[in-house]
Amino acid sequence: MPYHEFECSKCIPERKKHAVIKGPGEDLTSALPLGYLNTIPGSISERGCAYCGAKHVIGTPMKDVIHMSHGPVGCTYDTWQTKRYISDNDNFQLKYTYATDMKEKHIIFGAEKLLKQNIIEAFKAFPDNKRMTLYQTCASALIGDDINAVAQEVMEEMPEVDIFVCNSPGFGGPSQSGGHHKINIAWINQKVGNVEPQITSDYVINYVGEYNIQGDQEVMQDYFKRMGIQVLSTFTGNGSYDDLRSMHRAHLNVLECARSAEYICNELRVRYGTPRLDIDGFGFEPLSASLRKVGLFFGIEDRAQAIIDEETARWKPELDWYKERLKGKKVCLWPGGSKLWHWAHAIHEEMGVEVVSVYSKFGHQGDFEKGIARCEEGALAIDDPNELEGLEAMEMLKPDIIFTGKRPGEVAKKIRVPYLNAHAYHNGPWKGYEGWVRFARDIYNAIYSPLHQLAFVDISKDEIPTNAGFVTQKMLSDVNLSEEITSSDSLREYTGKYDIISQLRGKTYPQFPPAPQQLAVV
Amino acid sequence: MEDMMKDRIEQLVDYIMKKCLWQFHSRSWDREKQNEGILTKTMQLLCDEPVDLGTPTDKVYWVDAVCLADAFKSRYSWLATMDKAEIKLLMRGLKDRMDYLTITGSLNAELTDPHY
Repeated sequence: MPYHEFECSKCIPERKKHAVIKGPGEDLTSALPLGYLNTIPGSISERGCAYCGAKHVIGTPMKDVIHMSHGPVGCTYDTWQTKRYISDNDNFQLKYTYATDMKEKHIIFGAEKLLKQNIIEAFKAFPDNKRMTLYQTCASALIGDDINAVAQEVMEEMPEVDIFVCNSPGFGGPSQSGGHHKINIAWINQKVGNVEPQITSDYVINYVGEYNIQGDQEVMQDYFKRMGIQVLSTFTGNGSYDDLRSMHRAHLNVLECARSAEYICNELRVRYGTPRLDIDGFGFEPLSASLRKVGLFFGIEDRAQAIIDEETARWKPELDWYKERLKGKKVCLWPGGSKLWHWAHAIHEEMGVEVVSVYSKFGHQGDFEKGIARCEEGALAIDDPNELEGLEAMEMLKPDIIFTGKRPGEVAKKIRVPYLNAHAYHNGPWKGYEGWVRFARDIYNAIYSPLHQLAFVDISKDEIPTNAGFVTQKMLSDVNLSEEITSSDSLREYTGKYDIISQLRGKTYPQFPPAPQQLAVV
Repeated sequence: MEDMMKDRIEQLVDYIMKKCLWQFHSRSWDREKQNEGILTKTMQLLCDEPVDLGTPTDKVYWVDAVCLADAFKSRYSWLATMDKAEIKLLMRGLKDRMDYLTITGSLNAELTDPHY
């Protein structure tokens, strides 16, 4: 087993099994780190908690819901406001955040009365909103507040409202992934099957594991609508509470982000027989394959192919402009979640960058299997790295850029490694054909930023050059390219608009004739 | 001959590992069904045999199988030189290798966890 031991973690020998380097000829039977275990005592972790996983990752992207945390106000604030899970209802879920504001006296005497009072107050303050998700936190779970009973009491007194209870306190798992599990199962147990939807198409899907970061969901929904597919619900980015109660009526679950959402897909498969199809939404080739697969399932492959042809012709020359300038650049792909495998192969093949390391803070071993399978030899895979390990890895690998969250991202900047926010993006959406070009553009801008060049000047000892003129990005990126590439007529820089999402809202879509009878055997 | 078959199987494995996701469902029983369902249907498509689409599950297996069969045919020209018996042998070897890499030889300690 090609475990990698960090110098800084030699005093914590258990950490050795949490990092591997994929060696020549090695496969998943010889190169796989441990993952999703309790954090080793003495080792600092950057993980989120189970409450964070349930509320901030899975629950709160639901757009038309009052998301109430039963606990201290700090629980509500922490980790929010940095996600960009936008919505088409004026970002209601991003504008407001709610907590019962538990204090010491509530810990001593109980907080159920406080909770009921807060729920009613919130519904009165937002009279147009009749849906609420109630999240347990460590504080209220430890004293045993019965939030299910309180929710039931309020629903009996206010029959027009509906409340979903999520019991996922911070200590409910080794990491935020435990919270993903809990909210998935709670939702299907409590809410799925409670609403009968209006079916408007012969082809109906749930789009699962998509959180609408900067509009990703709306880009994908546009493709599905262009194919004549009804997206019954999105779990949970830009998703509506009542649509998500009708998930049982879909013909197919299209799953993008295992593992944070595969639980609900598996349960829908067992309870309702709805099949699960795993897709990739990032990268021209993976996205094209995904649209084709959904098209094949419904017998409308030609509609998918029309979109693939149109979008590829429009955007490929722009992707290739960036690819020429990004070839060979080394990247630490440390997104912490599913982008570990969504991007590992696609950015290598379609943008030419070398993925020298992958990591996940809360990923299961299954997540690492996918990531390592898609990486090239020599890549360092790390489970739950702490800050020192991260620094040591970057000093060893010398990446040109890192894709990660804002905490490790800020650390990387201090050692002069440019970073892109893999969680909330810089100038997304990055999903879809145009989005993938925007991602390439953001990578290009980060690596070749003239401003970043100044970061390599140590003002404590280096002379500040005063004889150099202004250097543009192209002067940095094109210096070693051939004339054939720099003067190419077929390649061009990104030509899209700053905002590509607003135009999708209110767009009209083609009507298609009813589906023909399906054959049982081909 | 045996070495050539082994080399070809590894080429197909490499494609699946890099481009597909269906082989990595989170439990052993699920991986067994996925490998069996999709690779059997891929073999049937490559051998021009009928494929059962009777259930929604058959249909999702078939979807992945169609994409896999198309990719194999377009990328690996040696496939066109093989007769049906050889293709069946190749696909049996591929299924065994995938079962080993993702199930029996896997280091993923969660595969047999009774919970998700």
